[in-house]
Amino acid sequence: MNGFGALLRQRLRRDRWTLLWWILGTTALAAIVPGAIGSSYGTEAERAGLLQLTAQAPAILIFRGTPNGADEGAFSFFLIFAFLGLMAGLMNTFLAVRHTRAEEEEGRAEQVAATPAGRITPTIATVAHGVLADVVLALLVAAAFAGGGLPVSGALVTGAATAAVGIAFLGFGLVAAQLFRTSRAANALSVAAVLAAYVVRGIGDATGERSADGLHVTPGWASWLSPIGWAQLANAWNGDDWVALLLPLGFGLLLVLAVLGLQRVRDLGASLLPGRRGRASAGPVLASTLGLAWKLDVGVIVAWAVGGLFTGLLATSLTPLVDAIATDAPQVGDTLQGIAGADGTIEQALLTTFFTIGGLLAACCAAQIVIKARQEEARGTAELVLATPVGRVRWLAAFLAVAAIGAVLALAATFLGAVLGTASIDDPSQALRDSALAALGQVPAALVFVAIPALCFVLARQATIPLTWALLGLSGFLGVFGELLGLPDWTHDLSPFAHAPTPQGDDYDWSGGWWLLGVAAVGIAAALVLMRRRQVAGDG
Amino acid sequence: MTTVIRTEGLVKRFGRTRALDGLDLDVEAGTVHGFLGPNGAGKSTTIRILLGLARATEGTARIFDDEPWGWASALHRRIAYVPGDVSLWPNLTGGEAVDFFARLRGGTVDRAAYTERRARLMQEFQFDPRVKGRAYSKGNRQKVALIAAFATPADLYVLDEPTSGLDPLMEQVFRREVDRVRADGATVLLSSHILSEVEQLCDRVSIIRAGRTVESGSLGELRHLTRTSVSFATNGLDPAAISALPGAHDVAVDEARVRFTVDSDAVAALLPELGRLGVQGLTVEPPSLEELFLRHYGDELAATGAEEAPRA
Repeated sequence: MNGFGALLRQRLRRDRWTLLWWILGTTALAAIVPGAIGSSYGTEAERAGLLQLTAQAPAILIFRGTPNGADEGAFSFFLIFAFLGLMAGLMNTFLAVRHTRAEEEEGRAEQVAATPAGRITPTIATVAHGVLADVVLALLVAAAFAGGGLPVSGALVTGAATAAVGIAFLGFGLVAAQLFRTSRAANALSVAAVLAAYVVRGIGDATGERSADGLHVTPGWASWLSPIGWAQLANAWNGDDWVALLLPLGFGLLLVLAVLGLQRVRDLGASLLPGRRGRASAGPVLASTLGLAWKLDVGVIVAWAVGGLFTGLLATSLTPLVDAIATDAPQVGDTLQGIAGADGTIEQALLTTFFTIGGLLAACCAAQIVIKARQEEARGTAELVLATPVGRVRWLAAFLAVAAIGAVLALAATFLGAVLGTASIDDPSQALRDSALAALGQVPAALVFVAIPALCFVLARQATIPLTWALLGLSGFLGVFGELLGLPDWTHDLSPFAHAPTPQGDDYDWSGGWWLLGVAAVGIAAALVLMRRRQVAGDG
Repeated sequence: MTTVIRTEGLVKRFGRTRALDGLDLDVEAGTVHGFLGPNGAGKSTTIRILLGLARATEGTARIFDDEPWGWASALHRRIAYVPGDVSLWPNLTGGEAVDFFARLRGGTVDRAAYTERRARLMQEFQFDPRVKGRAYSKGNRQKVALIAAFATPADLYVLDEPTSGLDPLMEQVFRREVDRVRADGATVLLSSHILSEVEQLCDRVSIIRAGRTVESGSLGELRHLTRTSVSFATNGLDPAAISALPGAHDVAVDEARVRFTVDSDAVAALLPELGRLGVQGLTVEPPSLEELFLRHYGDELAATGAEEAPRA
């Protein structure tokens, strides 16, 4: 295989930082689990209590895994494995598309294929690259669990299962790259497939059959449709079933073979599905910068709104858990009571927690849209628009307006999810009232994240993107977890989410909301005024 | 004649580098003005200041007697702009982008006229409007900006290396469009380093170097500053007689032809002398723009050659 070594080295070199972050991030996720279990669910009885609790609201299993015993190892696998599979899946599909379709799209593949390496070797090198990354991931994940004091054999199974999910999706990513003309379409299909694998497995767990003691679940048939579901059958620390891993590995191998077959007959740059042709002329929306900002961002809004919908669904559908928590897991009950405040009910605390996450999603939506303005500037399309009779201030204002609309729509979707979630409650009036107030209360907090990225954009354009996400991440962390982790109050107070009005009993205090609205309004106005004096950069 | 663009002592600093170093530029109404200089001379920086996208560190720039930074959007109603490297939105088609720019510039008010202009330009530029932005080649992205610029009438066309990536046939279409808008009375600022294009299209030329204008005038005026090349058949003429020709420089004689250069304003005085010698196969070539250009940049070429030599 001509040039295989050079191609593999080039891939490793190109991805050294990207993969480092993916692998370390996934490993970190694994590494925090043993410690977290020690502090929150130290005894077998507590763990058994939580597992039995999930029988009351099986929906919660969508976000966890298959209950399979209360000992520390099996409980860790239950808590975190589906997330590890999700991360490994995303890492691998991005990797596969990055080195195949993206290269073809940019025309670089052509230059490589014109060397003795040819059309096929680059794909084989990509497979080797992905497998290598998965092996490293497997070893680090295993080391993380073993280092946390869990039995080594189970740790190795967990690592191997994570890698097996990765390899299954490596194959999937390569197939997606064969199907579409653009890397964007291939990535979109792959991400959808990974998320679907995660959710489908969750449905399998939630609809599974529970054992008499309530500690074990046999997943439903849906889990058999998902590579993450297959890998979960390995049941680390409770049987260590290595054979189950042959399923995802075989799936990956089959897809890789299919891809190599396809590449023998496919022209370089061509795709199995024809590239979609678009409109010959612009529709009525595309008549102003506001229309442009809307058209560029409507996909972003839909994506965050779907996230909000699911968050809202959980906010109310988990209510039946509350009674069980109070009796079975008093610790969790105390924490929730802390969030609710002295006047609030535990139901309100649960609801508020989910709506704060909804607010965070809405803030992410707003921030991502404002960041688009920066991306327009860096790409050069902003310059083309600003060379027409559109002023700088009006151009930025269009993105800020769409960001605000996006945040409101994301929260509206969260509320809609909550309304749907009340279907299982006998008397939903209280839950509906609390949901409406909680959703409304998050709007000012989310709007602050129209102002913050706008100010970053105007004052520190190069740093807009990292600075925005860093501030948002910090605010989310302090706002959602600050109290749970027992951090000092003043750090908690730094986060806009800490000041969002929440329903407490029959009270609803809007003073924090006014403050947040004031901060957002002043920030947005300042950004627009400063924009009058800011130059538009032609390059990065 | 009124002046459409006037800059005086324009300076633009980026940190320590001076992209513009006292640039003067005058563009008269109704002319096609060539704006010449190699990469990095400051052409695009000047254009960005003229469009009000960047602010001059020092000096003044005026378009239609207004200051572009403060009055950008009002001025842009009268301006069409084509950059040298067009970026498009990956998920919008070329046709959508063209319509969007036309709407922003108010070009679609007369729908029927706009539709007709758009259809004509798309046909002449052989452009497929239904492809998404990310799938266009460099030349096709350039066509989007050109069609958008010419589909809506403007008083001033600012074209920054507009034909980069176009094939020779499309360059012809572009030249026809420039001639058309000039005939309609518009002003064109054409930044380029394709000298044949400038020679064919431009009434006046400014040559800039390292952020300064080094030469400005009509092509005729500029030609006066340089020498014309003359050559004829040797035919056994007496070398002494050739050396004695008035104004002849750099005389070179080989078996077939005699070549020399002469100051452009001395050509008239030379012709009777050539007639007396009875020369045959006479050619008299005015200096090409390329020679004008190289006269200003030749030393730079030599200098970079010298710098790079030790490395090689």
